[in-house]
Amino acid sequence: MSTGELHHLDYLKENELMEMDTFIHRIDSTEVIYQPRRKRAKLIGKYLMGDLLGEGSYGKVKEMLDSETLCRRAVKILKKKKLRRIPNGEANVKKEIQLLRRLQHKNVIQLVDYCVCGMQEMLDSVPEKRFPVFQAHGYFCQLLDGLEYLHSQGIVHKDIKPGNLLLTTDGALKISDLGVAEALHPFAEDDTCRTSQGSPAFQPPEIANGLDTFSGFKVDIWSAGVTLYNITTSLYPFEGDNIYKLFENIGKGDYTIPEECGPLLSDLLRGMLEYDPAKRFSIQNIRQHNWVRKKHPPSELPVPIPASAESRDPWRSMTVVPYLEDLHGYTEEDDDELYDGEDDIIYTQDFTVPGQVAEEDRDQGNADHSPALPKPVCVNGTDVGSLNTKAKAERRSSSSSNPSRKGVSTASKIRKLSTCKQQ
Amino acid sequence: MPFPFGKSQKSPAEIVRSLKENVAYLEKVDAGDKEVSKNLASLKEILSGTGDKEPHTEAVAQLAQELYNTDLLISLIANLQRIDFEGKKDVVHLFSNIVRRQIGTRTPTVEYICAHTQILFMLLKGYESAEMALNCGMMLRECLRHEPLARTVLFSEDFYCFFRFVELSTFDIASDAFASFKDLLTRHKIMCADFLENNYDKVFTEYEKLLHSDNYVTKRQSLKLLGELLLDRHNFSVMTKYISRAENLKLMMNMLRDNSRNIQFEAFHVFKVFVANPNKTQPVLDILLKNQTKLMEFLSHFQTDRSEDEQFCDEKNYLIKQIRDLKRPVAPEEA
Repeated sequence: MSTGELHHLDYLKENELMEMDTFIHRIDSTEVIYQPRRKRAKLIGKYLMGDLLGEGSYGKVKEMLDSETLCRRAVKILKKKKLRRIPNGEANVKKEIQLLRRLQHKNVIQLVDYCVCGMQEMLDSVPEKRFPVFQAHGYFCQLLDGLEYLHSQGIVHKDIKPGNLLLTTDGALKISDLGVAEALHPFAEDDTCRTSQGSPAFQPPEIANGLDTFSGFKVDIWSAGVTLYNITTSLYPFEGDNIYKLFENIGKGDYTIPEECGPLLSDLLRGMLEYDPAKRFSIQNIRQHNWVRKKHPPSELPVPIPASAESRDPWRSMTVVPYLEDLHGYTEEDDDELYDGEDDIIYTQDFTVPGQVAEEDRDQGNADHSPALPKPVCVNGTDVGSLNTKAKAERRSSSSSNPSRKGVSTASKIRKLSTCKQQ
Repeated sequence: MPFPFGKSQKSPAEIVRSLKENVAYLEKVDAGDKEVSKNLASLKEILSGTGDKEPHTEAVAQLAQELYNTDLLISLIANLQRIDFEGKKDVVHLFSNIVRRQIGTRTPTVEYICAHTQILFMLLKGYESAEMALNCGMMLRECLRHEPLARTVLFSEDFYCFFRFVELSTFDIASDAFASFKDLLTRHKIMCADFLENNYDKVFTEYEKLLHSDNYVTKRQSLKLLGELLLDRHNFSVMTKYISRAENLKLMMNMLRDNSRNIQFEAFHVFKVFVANPNKTQPVLDILLKNQTKLMEFLSHFQTDRSEDEQFCDEKNYLIKQIRDLKRPVAPEEA
């Protein structure tokens, strides 16, 4: 199970992206033509690449494994070509990275962090499109903590919505996507902002009405209010056939709260969706509100994190394992051997059969390649992989007992782990 | 008190009463007692259940009520020293669990402690006794999560004990005290800002002593916390006040040249606020101007091996530029 394992967000540089392009291409063709189940290992620096986790307008997100720490991570791969098509794309990304560097809070995504699922994806996975109250309450309290931290650091997020809230397998919420966030000048007296590029349905009246200046923090409060409204009712307080209609409706400020919300939640929503930003709740007001302070009994079953769309894996387990197997020449038949096998030495040896990657590379995806060659010595030092990163991995591992093997450091750690497990 | 039945058949009220008596007995004999540990274990069972058995709401409510009625929490903390190791852990568990207890929007134990604030100060003084300092620290921090309790401690005279506790020679106790100290000053932002603003002189006079501490850990931790406090927007007016004073700038400039690189680095993050301030006071400006060339020279060679830390390099270059561009205002003073 993947609970508690980390999967991190990182950024790659342009030259690594280029490699990525060629890599994806090559793998796809081998998979399609020769062996659908085979996954080709690919190391970038110390990272072993896993499956695609998702795609966005900027590029894609892939899972990867840190071969030194064995931490689960995610890499956001940004394509310059795609970025150029987005207004301020490159600048926003640079700004986001810069902001993330200085932030550290349990409810704010970090440059190196983990998450498995977006809140929007979770909402979409159930027919009700909303959370039971106690679950919504748990997330909302974490959103408050994260937001309070961002504001304490002088950062206005400007795009709070379920789509930008990520969740970990252990239920922690992380505010992400600071692409349109604004860092206030450290000596600015207040939180006056002039621009906002957030998602229309979550924008407050002062922005819908096109005011020149407005309180940044109160924008986030409003958006958090729309978010709370949405995750408890599945609805939006304001709608419109197009953005003009939508902004017109927001600008008027008339909305209704479904009765099912009850008086307490309705009161909180009204405080957060207050038309006048000056009268709108502050984070302090929200914290002291009885709906927030109240203990909500878990009356219904919580919405679970849905199975990943790609692999339909309900546990969201690591996708790098097949790549690891490829890296160390582990094939299906090894499984039988493993379960028949007597001692852990055979297991670990099999798991890290050296030389096979190179063979596989020559003989694309040879499935019935005999795994049994038991405890082989490294017969084949040739590294067919074209990546210089592999060479790097080799160099790093040269202190180990078998210097010519790729990713030996991972292998040896896995060996240690597996021996522990079996004892 | 003898037990004719198995312990599971005793009601929470009975266990609480028995424990209360046994604790009172502890006081007299001044030695560990098995009965106390046994009672504590049973209470813990009621509160958190055993194995797959969930705790019984009814029994928990009864237990809590009995705890308030008998003031058992107070006697437990007062006699914590005499309770054995496992028993101490059970007390912490019992205490933390009961403090978290919620009925709707109410937290009855918090209300109880609000009415019996001596509990907070007993826990605070617990740092003075090595055998129970860490247990008390955990219970205290559990209380500090609740604003009314944190406020009681923060705005009390006893809060200033922390300036002594964080320098205690036992490392783990000092660290624990620092964690509580930090919680008090940062957790409830609005209240903390209000406290620092209204007690500025007293707090920062004490705080400065921490920055001068001979204890490296104290010095480094307190400098780091100072940076965090000043750069938190909630503390904007405290920050403005702090960076208006020339003696604070002098202190940071000296710390920039500390023997420890880590201290230097933390000092840099406070020093930068003085320089970036668009409304520098005259005394601060004077010091910066007097040292203009020296500072530029110093900063250009400051921790150059951190070149991979882009943000640090950017900030350093920004400071160098700011210092270079410093100009004496129209009415100049001494050279």
